[in-house]
Amino acid sequence: MPRLLGVDIPNYKKIEYALRYIYGVGPARAAQVVAETGIDPDTRAKDLTEEDLNKITNAINEHKYAVEGDLRRETAANLKRLQAINCYRGLRHRRGLPVRGQRTSTNARTRKGSRRTVGVMKK
Amino acid sequence: MPRSIKKGFFIDPSLQDKVDEAVRSNSRKPINTWSRRSVITPDFVGLNFKVHNGKSFIDVHVTENMVGHKLGEFSLTRTFKTHGSHTKK
Repeated sequence: MPRLLGVDIPNYKKIEYALRYIYGVGPARAAQVVAETGIDPDTRAKDLTEEDLNKITNAINEHKYAVEGDLRRETAANLKRLQAINCYRGLRHRRGLPVRGQRTSTNARTRKGSRRTVGVMKK
Repeated sequence: MPRSIKKGFFIDPSLQDKVDEAVRSNSRKPINTWSRRSVITPDFVGLNFKVHNGKSFIDVHVTENMVGHKLGEFSLTRTFKTHGSHTKK
């Protein structure tokens, strides 16, 4: 199986779809990279030549796309900044509640996680 | 949707005056303000503010990381309630 940008090992899928397994590359970037490198979109990831892989890596680096570890570090740094300056958004992140003003009376389950029943303590 | 860049950031003129004055006189005295909607600009850095939250003034010390946020983001308007909190005290 081919390796791209470190650890990523996509599989039997066509390259445009295989590229999406890289953290930071979605449909738009995958399509763009394929178009730019001029690789036949129908090739499967396992059939990529060494040269193709280099071309793809170069295309991604050229655009300065933050990908994988760098991207993860970037988002983590953003989160940390928000929490460090004690602003409203940082607070919401800390409490694990929705950050962008959504209702929390009901719903918001993505952020709050699955339901936990909280009993009222007597005295 | 964010504010159009063309317009630039917004600061209440009255607050800007107070900040200019504080920077000129190098005063450490906190600036009382109700203008939660004003964007923190680089010349706010190092100043102390007291930002109104509708009830009282909350101390906000501006650091470099806060530039680009608004003053109101640092002065909560709501009390965070948890269950069981009324049994404590």
